[in-house]
Amino acid sequence: MPCGEYFTDYGSRMGLFRWRTQRIALVLGLPIPFLLPFVIGGGTLNLFAQIYIFAIAVLGLNVILGYAGEIVLAQGAFMAIGAYSTSRMLGTGAGLLPAMIVGGFIAAGVSVAFGLPAVRVKGFYIAISTLALQFIAEWFFLNDKAAFIHGGVQQTVPVDVGLLGSFIRISSRTDIYFLALVSMLVFALLSLNFSRTGIGRSFRAVHENDLAAAVLGINVFRNKLLAFAIGGFMIGFSGGLYAVLIGFLDPSFFTIELTLQHYVMLLFGGLGRVWGALLGVAMVSILLDNLQEFFNTYAPDATSLIPVLFGAIIIVVLAVEPKGVLAALGQLKEYLRKWPYAY
Amino acid sequence: MVDVPALFATIVAGIGIGAIYALVAMGFSLIYKVTGVLNFAQGQLALVGAYFVAIFAAPSIIWFVPAGALPTLGGVVALVATILVGVLLGVLLERAIFRFFIGEPVLSVIIVTLALGGIFSGFIQFLVGPNFRAYPESLLPNWSVPLPFGTEISGPFAIGVVLSLVVVIALMVFFRYTVTGSILRAAASDQQAAMALGVSIERTIIIAWTLSITITAIGGILLAMANGGAGFAIETTGIIILVAVVFGGLDSVPGAFLGAIVVGLLRELGRFYVEDFVGAGFAEILPLIFLLFIIVVKPYGLFGTERIERI
Repeated sequence: MPCGEYFTDYGSRMGLFRWRTQRIALVLGLPIPFLLPFVIGGGTLNLFAQIYIFAIAVLGLNVILGYAGEIVLAQGAFMAIGAYSTSRMLGTGAGLLPAMIVGGFIAAGVSVAFGLPAVRVKGFYIAISTLALQFIAEWFFLNDKAAFIHGGVQQTVPVDVGLLGSFIRISSRTDIYFLALVSMLVFALLSLNFSRTGIGRSFRAVHENDLAAAVLGINVFRNKLLAFAIGGFMIGFSGGLYAVLIGFLDPSFFTIELTLQHYVMLLFGGLGRVWGALLGVAMVSILLDNLQEFFNTYAPDATSLIPVLFGAIIIVVLAVEPKGVLAALGQLKEYLRKWPYAY
Repeated sequence: MVDVPALFATIVAGIGIGAIYALVAMGFSLIYKVTGVLNFAQGQLALVGAYFVAIFAAPSIIWFVPAGALPTLGGVVALVATILVGVLLGVLLERAIFRFFIGEPVLSVIIVTLALGGIFSGFIQFLVGPNFRAYPESLLPNWSVPLPFGTEISGPFAIGVVLSLVVVIALMVFFRYTVTGSILRAAASDQQAAMALGVSIERTIIIAWTLSITITAIGGILLAMANGGAGFAIETTGIIILVAVVFGGLDSVPGAFLGAIVVGLLRELGRFYVEDFVGAGFAEILPLIFLLFIIVVKPYGLFGTERIERI
């Protein structure tokens, strides 16, 4: 806590932004992403839009994994469901926002259905049942005979769509960038506040010890399903946005590798914390982009080493600092605050 | 009317593939039984076995090593070398990675094994490229055993059936009647107490990993033999193996064997009877649907120990 600032009422104690430093940081920092498109362009702008979109998905994963403690290995499946549903809905001319919301709801429904085993089992079993979902989804979206449901294995998403019906056209890269940024901010604010509500607290109770939570009168099963629904919605929504960003759908974008990437992002940043998720997504995405560029330029044969590097990062992070970069930064801050004293 | 010879041939093929799956599945449940690690990289371990035979038998590593720099080993020597690699890998994994995750939450271990899977398949792809690698003639059993109704079981499947039966019986005998087996069981049931009685937990973990990886690698090699060579499709056996071990009860070796046979049968029957209506590839999906069914109805499987939780 900075010197000379005291809380005089509970309202300020409970606020999202509690200290003057935070308010100054907010006022100075918030305009930067909004001004970014005027400075950078092209590929970098795309990368940033992708970071915002993945941030939504990782925040969704954070709700299920970080808050409620259920291991979900179906990021790719949820994003694919969101993407294909969004593409289908766009065909009806409903507009982008309703399409993404419907995509999110469908993903949430599937997520709840595959979370149903939580009534009897936990942990590992949920992990495999969602891993099964991942494989079933990959098969489903590659299957021509199911085209009447998903509308074709490969699809192009229209580049010029209205946000609501045919109003507010989203046509250029910059428009998509702003849409992704605003959605990310909304979802980040929602999940920041969500962790402070009663439901968020019961999720954490379920995460810590579900037996104890049940004894305390929390309906464990309902809370787990609720976590699946909320997280699934966010991941499906981000899948829809991703479809609009890349403009083309193929099942190969939504494989188990995507799941692994999102896990790296979340674990690297810090499990269970919104800022950790955001930080992790940004750092890992930029690292991945640079790595890909490096390998493509200097060693095109060795691009398959990227998953090796990723796996190594996961293992080292889990062994050295399981709470992620955010916890490490916190320790650094404590050290600097006390410097030059050791206590 | 049911076409009896065709049905019989399908069942034979199912048991054959199931027996090979059983080897990989027993590797999984062995590790889980002794060390409590749920190894999601099991499919990739089978992949490592399959590709290392190809690497040893017909060396053409695309990276660093020019063509012809490595000696070409004969088929049997390549098999032995691969099994040695499996043993070394077991020791290495324990020393370098799993030692740090003893007593960590299940999430960390699952993520670590997933990451390991990525490392294995990425590294193999880096070594030999993403393509199918045909096995040399000396490694392809082109004989088959004749069975009633005019059907026959091909060489790799026959070896798989015999070998998996041998392995399951050997493991049961090993766990029940040998000193090392008792030590492994003691370490599995209570690490602290076993340590207090002078059991070296590190050594038990190394034994478990090497045994498991060796069996898994043999399973991978047989899978590759059945296909005529190593391909990255072997990776997807990982998820099918999970179905088998969940059905058998996670920590039971005979359960894993039975589960794998059932899953193999399901797969072949699905390929023969259902795939035409639903679309290609459904045979791999049918076991997964079966898995969801098991998890809801009988989560601890056929022979699994039911865990009782207390606060």
